[in-house]
Amino acid sequence: MQDLLIIAVHGIGAGAIFALVGMSFNVVFNASGILNFAQGNLLVLGGLFALLTLPGEPSVTGWLVLLPIAAIVLAALVAIQGGITLLPLRSSVEQHSWLITTLAASVIISGVLMIYQGSAQPTVHSPFAGFRLMGMRVPASYALATLLAILWYVALYLFHTRMLTGLAMSAISQDLDAARAAGLRVRRLQILSFAISGLIVGSAGFVAAPVMAIASDSGISYVMNGFVAAVIGGIGSNLGALIGGFLVGVITSYAAFNYGGEFQDAVALALLVGVLMLRPQGLLGRPAARRV
Amino acid sequence: MARALARINLLRGADGAQALIGIVLVIASIVIPILAGSAYWTHNFLIVSLFVSVAVVQNLLLSDAGQVSFGQGAVFGIAAYTVGMVGTLWSQGFVIGALCGMAAAILLGLLFALPALRVQGYYLGFVTLSAAVVFPQMLVALNDYTNGINGIPVTVPGLSEQGQTGFTLIALLVIVLTSAALLFHAAFRATRAGRRMRVAAASPEAAMTLGIDPGRLRFLAFSIAAIGTGIAGLLYVPVLGFVSPYAFRVDLSIFFFFSVVIGGNGQLLGPLIGAWILYLVPNALLAGWSDYRLVGYGIVALLIMLVFPDGVVGSMMDRLRRFRARESVPLIAMDHLLNDPVTDLSPPASATSAIVVTGARKSFGQLAALGGVDLSVTAGHIHGLVGPNGSGKTTLLNAISGLAPLDSGVIRIDGTDATRFAAHRLAALGVGRTFQTPRIFDSMSIWENLMIGADAAPTHDPWLLRTLARDEESWSESRPDLLPHAQRRVLEIMRVIASDAPILLLDEPAAGLSPEERRDFARLMRFLRDRLGRTILIVEHDLDLVWRVADRISVLDAGLIVAEGPPDEIHDNPRVRALFTGTINA
Amino acid sequence: MLELRDLHAGYGRVPVLRGISLAVAPGEIVLILGPNGAGKSTLLRTVGGFIKPTRGTIMLAGHDIAGMAPEDITRRGLRLVLDGHRVFPTLTVYDNIRLGAAFRGGRMDFDKAAGPALDMFPALREKLKAEARDLSGGQQQMLALAQAFVAQPQVLLCDEPSLGIALALIPPILEFLRRWARQGTSIIIVEQQIEIALGIADRAVIMERGAIELTGTAQELRGDARVHDIYLGLADRE
Repeated sequence: MQDLLIIAVHGIGAGAIFALVGMSFNVVFNASGILNFAQGNLLVLGGLFALLTLPGEPSVTGWLVLLPIAAIVLAALVAIQGGITLLPLRSSVEQHSWLITTLAASVIISGVLMIYQGSAQPTVHSPFAGFRLMGMRVPASYALATLLAILWYVALYLFHTRMLTGLAMSAISQDLDAARAAGLRVRRLQILSFAISGLIVGSAGFVAAPVMAIASDSGISYVMNGFVAAVIGGIGSNLGALIGGFLVGVITSYAAFNYGGEFQDAVALALLVGVLMLRPQGLLGRPAARRV
Repeated sequence: MARALARINLLRGADGAQALIGIVLVIASIVIPILAGSAYWTHNFLIVSLFVSVAVVQNLLLSDAGQVSFGQGAVFGIAAYTVGMVGTLWSQGFVIGALCGMAAAILLGLLFALPALRVQGYYLGFVTLSAAVVFPQMLVALNDYTNGINGIPVTVPGLSEQGQTGFTLIALLVIVLTSAALLFHAAFRATRAGRRMRVAAASPEAAMTLGIDPGRLRFLAFSIAAIGTGIAGLLYVPVLGFVSPYAFRVDLSIFFFFSVVIGGNGQLLGPLIGAWILYLVPNALLAGWSDYRLVGYGIVALLIMLVFPDGVVGSMMDRLRRFRARESVPLIAMDHLLNDPVTDLSPPASATSAIVVTGARKSFGQLAALGGVDLSVTAGHIHGLVGPNGSGKTTLLNAISGLAPLDSGVIRIDGTDATRFAAHRLAALGVGRTFQTPRIFDSMSIWENLMIGADAAPTHDPWLLRTLARDEESWSESRPDLLPHAQRRVLEIMRVIASDAPILLLDEPAAGLSPEERRDFARLMRFLRDRLGRTILIVEHDLDLVWRVADRISVLDAGLIVAEGPPDEIHDNPRVRALFTGTINA
Repeated sequence: MLELRDLHAGYGRVPVLRGISLAVAPGEIVLILGPNGAGKSTLLRTVGGFIKPTRGTIMLAGHDIAGMAPEDITRRGLRLVLDGHRVFPTLTVYDNIRLGAAFRGGRMDFDKAAGPALDMFPALREKLKAEARDLSGGQQQMLALAQAFVAQPQVLLCDEPSLGIALALIPPILEFLRRWARQGTSIIIVEQQIEIALGIADRAVIMERGAIELTGTAQELRGDARVHDIYLGLADRE
């Protein structure tokens, strides 16, 4: 019983981060058909921001002020990255160009993290104390990350269904030609989608920093798990990513608890292969796995 | 293979020349540091040459077979690690270790090929990337077998002993491997399998109508990549003398992929240039700043991608070709083909039906594209299939060529029930087809574009290629990307003629042709029927052309045949007139 | 208002348009007819910016818009309504219409801007909160036109508004276009079938193989046997 609780708490906490990465994938993918490989490292960069700005014993006020700043800084960064990614897309090797530019961005961030971090793994302290759930100590960051994932899901839902800009972004994902005929500026909306994905991973990285590995090689693992979450839910569906994230989180932490933490990514890989072989469109996905 | 090697003509042709330059560069990069006595640079260039050979087979996998794999580093690593485990930890020696390493590499490579049958593009990319992430984690996790993060020291006496001049056996092996990889890639492209692989990657549906099973070629590509990568992984062990999980992290896989694209996707020399730039620039310039290497290498990749979107070698070749192209584009003339004294190949057996479709139904969701179509095409006839937009013409053509199976109904080709046949089996039955947009492959020469058709012919010595033999030389040196549309159309039809298919399905062949080109085209149609005995089913909007050439015409409307008969009868039919002019209830 | 001079364009390297010249005055409705594959839709897509012309000019209110992106052309007052009643399926009718004016920053009085369209198409007013995918084909076409209407373009291009629509719904759609033109908007309609829109057109042109073969008023073309010959591919017969 206690074991199951540990698995559930850790799984949901980690799953929330995967769900957030998955949703940030979707925002960009829906607007541009691009999967930003750098999303994982950008998340870690959000964590690095927390590491650099938060003092050893941070205050709640300071934390609340820095959270939106982290999100905005990352949004600006990702918007620039998006601009660079979209730049050469008129050339003859379209697909490979974004695969390369987003991977290259990921590698560059990895390199920056390596310079900052050296070899020691620093930790970030949260201003919130953990709490006890049925006798088990739960770090506040797990609860905050879960809350953030749900908040972002609701915010994205409202954005895409209520706000004119969000509607325009939905429109370009539903019918690109009709959207252009309606006068919607596709390139700008796509860059904006990169910026929004930056807000998501920036805030997520900042909030989850105390329970995250802020290291040069952890981004790729987050990107992979986030992608698995998005694929399980169905690429493009935010509700799918939310559910998929928690599923991946709980299943991999079950594996990690029983067989060791090194097996967490291996289980995620097995999940990915399983879903793609059996149900490529995911739980809530629209079309089947798109061929490129 | 020997014939193919002769074909690439090493001194001419972009592939052969690039391979040759590559081999010279590889030899020079290893021999010069050895002669200069620089152990540091010898070591570096041995490593980078091994990486080049992995990138060469990755180039084949990516650009010839169209498969995105971010996991080749894991294949490389599993070969190397197996040598360490079997050879050192289990004391079986290098040779047994190497054999096991190869087996492991091929096994993992084929595991990558499995999802490739189901998903493509970045989905496949992500699966293989994830495998590359997990691989080093498993090396650590399974430390009972792998010695964990401590790695495994491996000494292979003999391979690394220096001769009097400073040469080692391993240096020789590395040179041989890298050269062989480059030569193999150039030669493979001139083989039937090599051409078919590129066709399957560029247009799977066109490939299937040429009798190609794309899945098998993907498997072949993953196998070739696994073998090349595996051998490089084996040699990596004696070069370094040590294997550890750290060396086979995901960065290595990304490095291989970057090398290919930065050098120039599809260019023979691309992987070498790409790997050199990516490995040497950060290592040489940032030698004392090891922490900055990763950033440096990411920035180099990003900048090159922005400045040379087609890769370094690709962009250079592009400029070179543009410069040369101004001189001449060969003309694909039909005249000497149409005037060729052909012996009639197969006089049409009169009154037999080449294609019989009965009760064909096909729906897309709610929409019934075909609502019970019967169609009979007599052997040796030109049969026109006309109708308004969305009446189901292309759907029917796709069903007959096996690209989109019917919901119900029967398709017989020369009496054989082919209803459930996949496209490549229908091609084997003698059904060839063209597409609305001609499927011409710009990365191949004009002659190779024809050869794809000949590759599908049962005899391998089709009449057409013999007739055109005098054009082989000039067409082998030119690519079709500068051909005007009408010429591409003709090239595609010549390809399907070269396949010796007795039944031809043509989808809107006259679209985009000028009036003179249409007249030539009508001549070609009659030539195919009267002199070569082909049966032709033609879908066409240009009714004028259909009236001119067709023996019989079927009119489709809303998924049903509404009229059938000879041209005169059809264009006097009031129902048909109303259908095409849109006069309601005329 | 709109003037095309010697326009050439095609898909990739397939030439489709071979020198189209055509002028449309404010408030005029021009109908483009022609058999399948004549290049009618290609012409609209070229003027709308989706296909780059290889030669020729497209003058909109005195400015050459040839080669501009579709979204910029729309912003300059030329609106293309694509064929196949294309709307944004998971958005509501209300939001679909709203998006038509989004390029102006979204400040619009919905009732005032969309009123005439909704008066003409009461079915849309009833279903403002429904998702567009739940409408019938004809209602989706009405929605696509309403979306274009709120953009208040100077020139409207309408590609096969009757395609895939129940016959009974075609008259109100044509009537809407007729009233719209009376406000001074230039309208080009492409139709495959000769009779459908001839009644509301001031002028019609017949295209064949990427060129304009015949042009005249509706009355002139109605009695012209050459129109049917072009459609049936019999025009070139000696």
